[in-house]
Amino acid sequence: MSLADLQPLMLGLIVACAALLLLLVDLLLKPSARPTLGWLTFAILTGTLAASWLLPLDGEVQAGVWQGSLWTTFLARLMLGAAALAVLGGLDYVARAWPYRQGEYYTLLLFSLAGMVLLPGCRELAAFVVCFELMGIPLYVLAAFGKNENGRKPAEAGMKLLLIGAASTAITFFGAALLVGLAGSSRFVELVPYEPGPLHGVAALLLLAGMAFKIGVAPFHMWVPDTYEGAPTPVVAFLSVAPKVAGFAAFASVFLVATPTLASTWRPMLWLLVVITMVIGNLVAIPQKNLKRLMAFSGVAQVGYILLGFLGGVEFGAAMMLFYLAAYLFANVGMFLVAHAIAEAGEGEDIVHLNGLARRSPWLALALLMFLLSLAGIPFVAGFWAKFYVFTAAWRAGHGEMVLLGALFATVALFYYLGVARAAFVNKSERSGPVPVKRPLALAIVVCLLGTVGLGAWPNPLVEAALAAVQGLY
Amino acid sequence: MIAILLIASALFCAGVFGLLTQKHAIGVMIAIEVMINAANLVLVGLGQHKGAAVGQSFALFTIAIAVAEVVVGLAIVLLLYRSRGDVQVDEAREMRQ
Repeated sequence: MSLADLQPLMLGLIVACAALLLLLVDLLLKPSARPTLGWLTFAILTGTLAASWLLPLDGEVQAGVWQGSLWTTFLARLMLGAAALAVLGGLDYVARAWPYRQGEYYTLLLFSLAGMVLLPGCRELAAFVVCFELMGIPLYVLAAFGKNENGRKPAEAGMKLLLIGAASTAITFFGAALLVGLAGSSRFVELVPYEPGPLHGVAALLLLAGMAFKIGVAPFHMWVPDTYEGAPTPVVAFLSVAPKVAGFAAFASVFLVATPTLASTWRPMLWLLVVITMVIGNLVAIPQKNLKRLMAFSGVAQVGYILLGFLGGVEFGAAMMLFYLAAYLFANVGMFLVAHAIAEAGEGEDIVHLNGLARRSPWLALALLMFLLSLAGIPFVAGFWAKFYVFTAAWRAGHGEMVLLGALFATVALFYYLGVARAAFVNKSERSGPVPVKRPLALAIVVCLLGTVGLGAWPNPLVEAALAAVQGLY
Repeated sequence: MIAILLIASALFCAGVFGLLTQKHAIGVMIAIEVMINAANLVLVGLGQHKGAAVGQSFALFTIAIAVAEVVVGLAIVLLLYRSRGDVQVDEAREMRQ
């Protein structure tokens, strides 16, 4: 095997090498020069993102263990974009809050990202679980980063993510072990026979439960609100998007590629999970007072909508899932960065701290409004097309009842999203003067805003790219 | 083969029981380890039964991953102990007033 054979893995390898490089650079830099580490990470991420258009990334590695295609490249771009935005938005905070641990922070983030970028292409179960854990384990540490401040409890957040994550890993392992043991092979194509037995069904359900934990599907979502509330906000901006993109890619690999013959077992369960997720996510979000906690339950509800695309058949549904993830990326990272900007200004993380934002910082309030509208699915921002397309996919697949339920709960969601907007636009504040926002953070918010509005105005190029990307899933 | 599956399932269920009943963070992590070892037992046992080496080699990966997870886990438990003075899982709920 020569180095050229690894060409399709290039994006993941660049990120992993960059993580190691950062560790070394961290040792060589003087403490006062450490803030450059953040800029270096940002440069590497944007460089890798640009490289995804320049390098040839298609092809098999090791006779089909890893399969590079438009599918893996599309997902890698989403993850790299989310990571770049989260790093840019958190630059000043990380330099101020953990001046001596910046190297560790960015190294962990890049290692997790390397696992994510490599995950969608895995076509072999051992490589798959290794990438899955490479993604997960650094996230436990990132969530626990920092001290108690501003009502946050990072250690508690990290421990909840860890215990639930490790338990879901154990469940996934048991399912995977059953499949590998029965098949005598760990290749996805050989994993399930054409006529599966009952044990295969048990294994598929174990895998479904284990992976549902990771992406925060109700009723396996208990860790989501505590982790989002307790962890540092720039970490949450990353944690709430990139691992979800990777998680859905993993879902597609396991259920559409490896176990399609078991569909009669996992499809009814998935249908049930989507219903529970939409109901719980939307209803529990209504009484929330903390903005990050509200966003956590909103995130649970959004996962329900994304899974709807999954129910909506293989090709069209999976493509619309990709589009939804892209729209969700910009709106969700943007929301957390706005929340971060407000918390950074010494206010707090509750919805009441948004009071009077429109009068104090009109641009920040406008960005907030656009993100909220996108998450709620109001026409002419990205989220509307995302919801519209997943509903179309579900309708075409004959899940009319889900479309009805989804539309109903989209109305419920409007209620709590507009509750946040009302705080910013209608309520009065005792404070006055604009909210100070650091330059990099402002730039990241502007990029999210452009993405949200741009995808709302011109969804077609991305839809076509998503449809093309799905062809590479097999 | 049936015997292997029965023993492994019993072990897995014991782990799940521990996961649901343990109040101490270390106890929960031990329960998770038991569950992962049930998976290892299935891998090695069924691999032997089928005569395929893939089960054994897969088990090596799961063991390594489990170790990495425990190392990070104990570090976080230690962090929580320093900030709170105890690591009872059911009492770490300061965010849900």
